[in-house]
Amino acid sequence: MGMYSEEINNISHKSRETLFEFAVMDERQAEETAYSNYSYWRSTWKSFLKNRIAIFLLVGVLIIVTFTILQPYLPAQKSPTEIYLDEQTGLQARNIAPNAEFWFGTNSIGQDLWSRIWAGTRTSLLIGCVVALVEAIIGISIGTLWGFSRKLELPITQLYNIVDNIPTTIVLILMSYILRPSVSTIIIAMCITGWVEMARFIRNQIVILRDREYNLASKCLGTPDYRIIVKNLLPYLISVIMLRLSLAIPFAIGAEVFLTYIGLGLPISEPSLGNLINEGRVLMMSPELRYQLIFPSIVLSVITIAFYIIGNSFADAADPKNHV
Amino acid sequence: MTQALSRILAIQNLVIKFSLRGRILTAIRDISLDLYKGESLAIVGESGSGKSVLMKSIMGLLDKNGYIDQGQIIYNNWDLTQFKTEQEWLAIRGKEVAMVTQDPMTSLNPLKTIGKQIEECVILHQCQKGRAAYLETLKLLKDVGIHDVEKRYRQYPHEFSGGMRQRIVIAIALACKPKILICDEPTTALDVTIQAQILQLLKHLQQKYGLTTVYITHDLGVVAKVADRIAVMYAGDIIEIGETHEIFFNAKHPYTWALISSLPQLGSKGEQLYSIKGTPPNLFQDIKGDAFAPRNPYALKIDFLERPPFFQVSDTHYARTWLLDPLAPQVQPPEALWAFFEEGRRYAHES
Amino acid sequence: MSHKEVLVEVKNLKIAFGKGKHKFMAINDVSFTIFKGEIFGLVGESGSGKTTIGRAIMRINDVTEGQILYRGRNIHGKIAKSWDREITQKIQMIFQDPMASLNERAKVDYIISEGLFNTKNFKDETDRQQKVRAALLNVGLLSEFSSRFPHEFSGGQRQRIGIARALVMEPEFIIADEPISALDVSIRAQVLNLLASLQQQKNLTYLFIAHDLSVVRFITDRTAVIYKGKIVELAETERLFSNPIHPYTRALLSAVPEPNPYKERNKIVEIYDPAQHCYDRNPPSFKEIEEGHFVLANEEEMAEYQASLQMEVHK
Repeated sequence: MGMYSEEINNISHKSRETLFEFAVMDERQAEETAYSNYSYWRSTWKSFLKNRIAIFLLVGVLIIVTFTILQPYLPAQKSPTEIYLDEQTGLQARNIAPNAEFWFGTNSIGQDLWSRIWAGTRTSLLIGCVVALVEAIIGISIGTLWGFSRKLELPITQLYNIVDNIPTTIVLILMSYILRPSVSTIIIAMCITGWVEMARFIRNQIVILRDREYNLASKCLGTPDYRIIVKNLLPYLISVIMLRLSLAIPFAIGAEVFLTYIGLGLPISEPSLGNLINEGRVLMMSPELRYQLIFPSIVLSVITIAFYIIGNSFADAADPKNHV
Repeated sequence: MTQALSRILAIQNLVIKFSLRGRILTAIRDISLDLYKGESLAIVGESGSGKSVLMKSIMGLLDKNGYIDQGQIIYNNWDLTQFKTEQEWLAIRGKEVAMVTQDPMTSLNPLKTIGKQIEECVILHQCQKGRAAYLETLKLLKDVGIHDVEKRYRQYPHEFSGGMRQRIVIAIALACKPKILICDEPTTALDVTIQAQILQLLKHLQQKYGLTTVYITHDLGVVAKVADRIAVMYAGDIIEIGETHEIFFNAKHPYTWALISSLPQLGSKGEQLYSIKGTPPNLFQDIKGDAFAPRNPYALKIDFLERPPFFQVSDTHYARTWLLDPLAPQVQPPEALWAFFEEGRRYAHES
Repeated sequence: MSHKEVLVEVKNLKIAFGKGKHKFMAINDVSFTIFKGEIFGLVGESGSGKTTIGRAIMRINDVTEGQILYRGRNIHGKIAKSWDREITQKIQMIFQDPMASLNERAKVDYIISEGLFNTKNFKDETDRQQKVRAALLNVGLLSEFSSRFPHEFSGGQRQRIGIARALVMEPEFIIADEPISALDVSIRAQVLNLLASLQQQKNLTYLFIAHDLSVVRFITDRTAVIYKGKIVELAETERLFSNPIHPYTRALLSAVPEPNPYKERNKIVEIYDPAQHCYDRNPPSFKEIEEGHFVLANEEEMAEYQASLQMEVHK
């Protein structure tokens, strides 16, 4: 059979005798588990860190956002709305290509493009973040109730069906007619229809989780519904919520650009990425003036691509199966 | 008696490790095992003992983060540890070694009829086509005890009960005409009445086709029914191996004693069952000495220092425990087992 | 066995799932009584409805027809808030799968105290921590485990956390739904011992649901065998095992694997064929065949069973 008992010959005979006495059994030692210090968030973070591109973009986005906020306080910045006059002619400094004075040049009515772009980015980011946040809050609240409460399931489903079937564009047009075009109008209009996706998503996750045994156990212990939702269900959803948030931001920014294209965006007096791109769009054909389109487009593209990649990398990192 | 049978598979000094979140876990710690043609070997152990890992390594089905660190697996003059490509493994999987797994719900493709799933294997492994393959499939279905085979051929997995699905999985495994059949907890997910039938079927098929079967299980009752030899595993090591009646009625390792004593059949109502304190060891760390020592009420000082070698109890029975060393004190198995061992000796005497 | 005080009474219970054409009677007219201080076993295979009964008593599933009484009072349908609170505390459940029955994102401390928070059954923070520590020690775990998360523990330890969670409520009646099926063989003994000793210490009453008959024989006082939503036999456990009457019970018992190779290989397994009963003309009822021993049978079968019982006695 191939099994031998001669392996012990290397131990000296004398010491062997004492070794054959009974050892004292330590019960605590027996109970100590293989302490696995697996922390879900630590593993997620580590997994995320392995993705160099995502880290690079994350840093890039953070730099852009910080700069956007700090830009007005830096020295030698111009006002985004002031129409600059050419010192020599006294006329409006129109369509000046990028030079030492106007780093990004000026637009067709003489405004400094550099400060306009950063002001526009500020506005667009504000819209994006607020919309994403409000959508998340409304979406999570309604989605949770929808998925968890058997009584509310039917009415909310009907509500969802109605709201989902109304074309977003129509709502936006209506809102823009009723309220004057402004940042808050756009935010309200986008939130009215935007919560639906998040609600449906959260509801699906809740339906999957609500019948798991640990929730049954909580019910048997008499735990009230709100505490089951907060302590048993939502902690599992944090990673997916963060993912959807990070994707909602560029989506909202893009929606704002779209609205501006169809004329429902912000007034021209308020700079936003949508406005800037729209202005630049008409000048696309003339090569000297193309810069007015290129600069805002680059900023928009960088933000959008960065958020998408960061969001998806985070989703991959948050998947427990990738934690090996 | 088993020496007369020829050796079909030899595992020599096998060490298997897994890299898990930056740490190394040693799942199999230097195992040597021989498998003889036509026998029925049961590998008994709890979760974490490494029994599934051992069998998966024979088929090249280790997880991505697992690797064979040392040792050889010799089959048919091939060393399976040297297989690197899927191409090489295709010569083994199915044709030579087939596996029946625990959960029949997930082993079958829900989108294909069961007839097609069996026929796939027939066509692939038996080089038959068309009508011949169809007839062979029907024959296999009859073999595993399914009635109305023409009708059943066209049905989908969800139209069968758990026990019947397991029969279909066995039919698929047999379609490959393997030499070795590995059954990984084949009846754990089934009801006890179905379990008896499936085990009976496996025994019958083993005799009919001359298969060598390996059963992986934690259920000693299952083992009692089907196994010729038993290998007991603990924490990645084989700690005792022998013929079935030797392991049941003449076990020498305290872990085997503990396993048998903790069976409720041996308990008396109103008294505590014999139970092993504590939990299995952490396989991320190097284990010094006998892995079972911290939980072993019969542990000797040397158990914490040196890994015990295999001591011979009979031609077919070996146990890895220092208690069998000539210098060790005489130790009786726990009281709960005395009646059981007595009964066994009586039966042995009568038969 | 002087525990003749009735704790739980199930009367003509019927539970149906689905509506109309797809109506499925999971429980079809089941009646039994559980006395205070006993361990009552409920045995059946998958699909028999044993888990459904447990969940119905726990009030997770609704009852279609029939009653479930606790200490003589109805616990289903519209009940007073104070009574509802009382039974939430007095009736607790232990679940089958230790991997799924604990909240992975909560610390063991919260998991065990969850019930205490609900019933406010503690004086202050120190008292609560004391109760948690006591519960952990009671189930054989170390008190420092309360600051850890469930994934750090093995299956057996997680199941013990689940038991601690039920115990900390100071219940009277515990429904154990296959508490050891998902555990390793050597851990089963630990948990079984724990359940048995807790029952002794605290005079608990258990409904022990299982499919493993050898476990049931070891721990229960009386056992009911359930097949497709109906109880086919009910008796004191030892009597049931030594003298099973209903053919399903006999088939079930013969199928249980024996850890004795000689016995196991020579065993002949009985197979149960439900078609052997002709219940169309003569429907069966649940009758007492000897003291404390009930069987589901019609008159014809009853006569047969009694005849064979006489033969047993005279042997």
